[in-house]
Amino acid sequence: MEEIFTRFKDYCERPYERAAQLKASGNTKIIGSLPMYFPEEIIHAAGALPVTLFGSEEPITLGDAHMMTNACDQVRSSFDSLLKGKYDFLDGIATIHVCDQVRFFLEVWQLDHPVDFFHQMWRPHKLDSTNQIFLRSELKRLISSLEEFMGTKITTEALQASIRIYNESRAMLRKLNDMRKERPGIISASDMVCVVASSMLIPREEHNQLLGQLLVGLEQSEITVSTKQKVIVVGHPCGIPETELLDMIEDNGMVVVDDDFFTGGRYFSRDVSASGDPIEAFVDFYTNAIPCTTMHFADNWIESGKSYSPYADYVIELMKAGQARGIVVLKEMYCDPYDMEFVLLKKRFEEEGIPYLNLITEHGAGPLESIRTRVQAFEETLRFF
Amino acid sequence: MITAGIDIGSTTTKAVVLGDGDIFSYALQPTGMEISSISHQVLMEALDKVGLKFEDVDSIVATGYGRISIPFATTTITEITCNAAGVHHLYPNASLVVDIGGQDSKVIKIDGQGRVMQFAMNDKCAAGTGKFLEVAAQTLGVPVSEIGAISMQSENKATISSTCTVFAQTEIVSLIARQTNKEDIAAGLHESIVSRVYGLISSVNPDPQAEVVLTGGVAKNTAIVKLLERMLARKISVPDNPQIVTAMGAAILAKQC
Repeated sequence: MEEIFTRFKDYCERPYERAAQLKASGNTKIIGSLPMYFPEEIIHAAGALPVTLFGSEEPITLGDAHMMTNACDQVRSSFDSLLKGKYDFLDGIATIHVCDQVRFFLEVWQLDHPVDFFHQMWRPHKLDSTNQIFLRSELKRLISSLEEFMGTKITTEALQASIRIYNESRAMLRKLNDMRKERPGIISASDMVCVVASSMLIPREEHNQLLGQLLVGLEQSEITVSTKQKVIVVGHPCGIPETELLDMIEDNGMVVVDDDFFTGGRYFSRDVSASGDPIEAFVDFYTNAIPCTTMHFADNWIESGKSYSPYADYVIELMKAGQARGIVVLKEMYCDPYDMEFVLLKKRFEEEGIPYLNLITEHGAGPLESIRTRVQAFEETLRFF
Repeated sequence: MITAGIDIGSTTTKAVVLGDGDIFSYALQPTGMEISSISHQVLMEALDKVGLKFEDVDSIVATGYGRISIPFATTTITEITCNAAGVHHLYPNASLVVDIGGQDSKVIKIDGQGRVMQFAMNDKCAAGTGKFLEVAAQTLGVPVSEIGAISMQSENKATISSTCTVFAQTEIVSLIARQTNKEDIAAGLHESIVSRVYGLISSVNPDPQAEVVLTGGVAKNTAIVKLLERMLARKISVPDNPQIVTAMGAAILAKQC
């Protein structure tokens, strides 16, 4: 099992190696996408390999000349990787509008380093029925633009087959997540992140096979259930959270039983329907995806005048379902949508007396010693209560 | 039962010895490089004062930045939990603690039993800490122990806009070059520190009626206390020896360890 974990970790440490290998060895076209929630299945159905671009952990040395330093880590680091040639294996980029930082990043990218295929999919940010018409047309536009680039027709059958492969992946990831709720400590939070993130970096079929083996191994294992303080970790709606921080949480008397990272629970919580019209299936997926800080809801606090945050409801429910005692928020510095939502989140935590720790993360994890003190103090708060 | 708390801060190491009845003593020394031996010396000094030996101590809690480097400690507890316990012991009704130490400042909300409800710490820089005052005093050429009194003589407070210690130093140099007097610069510095700490206080959304206690070495600076009282619009309690409150909390918690 250790061997399988090492492979997942290797994929995360050298995120684009497998894609570059495939590119060099044959006819595979590689399409990069930026987090989060791009319909990877459509790229897969077109016969290309979708790879999510997470930047790298390296210090940002070139990116800051092009990007504002108050852009989020995801954008700065990704641009830095681009300038360092780490994305040279890409045939194109197809991405979805998440926030304005990502939007401008793509525009600068296309201006400074044009690629053969460039597609920006727009996504409505207000989740109500009127916007579904627009979302439908955007999905169709993505499909035709990929068809043109790949010189192939993307059939309903191909889309359904791809959706099934991704659903299989999501189902296995959910199973793994359920296992850590039932047997806390069976998988470390940082390993969990690596398992999920690697699924977005290598061919999904390869990942599914490896993940299947891991599940069998874990089911048979006799790992003792952790008795540490159970917590959930939320935040990082786009990037890969700093694994040093996750390890620090778990090395200091706490065990993570669930999360809502993009490279975690948020990614695999729902399936896309593999039966019926795939476009309708994606529309349904996006309209009912888990509450995200980048989205606006039919009801909102400005209109209703009360503290309304479906994201806060979701996070609190996650904590309760995992029987966790507290919440650690890993707030990525300069992630505007999350910063704004955090105001509502914090308010709800305080109203409901939920113990929480807010850690602001930045590229390269930040000052670990002072963070350690806060992590330990939070654990003491949970323990002494 | 004899217990001891040792608080190894970034600047000063403090030890408190507590025992049954009235047994209480403390000692403090600059931290320096040899954390373990300094901690031992400070503890021995505190024990000497009440005629006790190392062997007499039943339990020792180490806290502060250097807490992991004390081989003779029974256990370690963070300075946040210890500070709350120390403050609760001295002020049972206090519900908000502001601790301004050498390299960090923290705000702790505590409940009726002295347990930590919520806390906030300065994140990534030394603005709003003792180090900030120390660097500023050095630049102004005045002893850090006098900078508070000097600031209170100001009639036309200078504005120090920078929230970074190093940039603030640059700002001080510019003010000196413009012949701003040191009283006005010192007043601006104090205002800058207290604004920073006030921001931290607001972040935990404290009860407007909360009894506030100020601890840490910087609480010895009367100008800081007065400014913070003005900003919070209420009286603040300052223990007789604000520097040893965390070590005292550690000694109190050591009874359970």
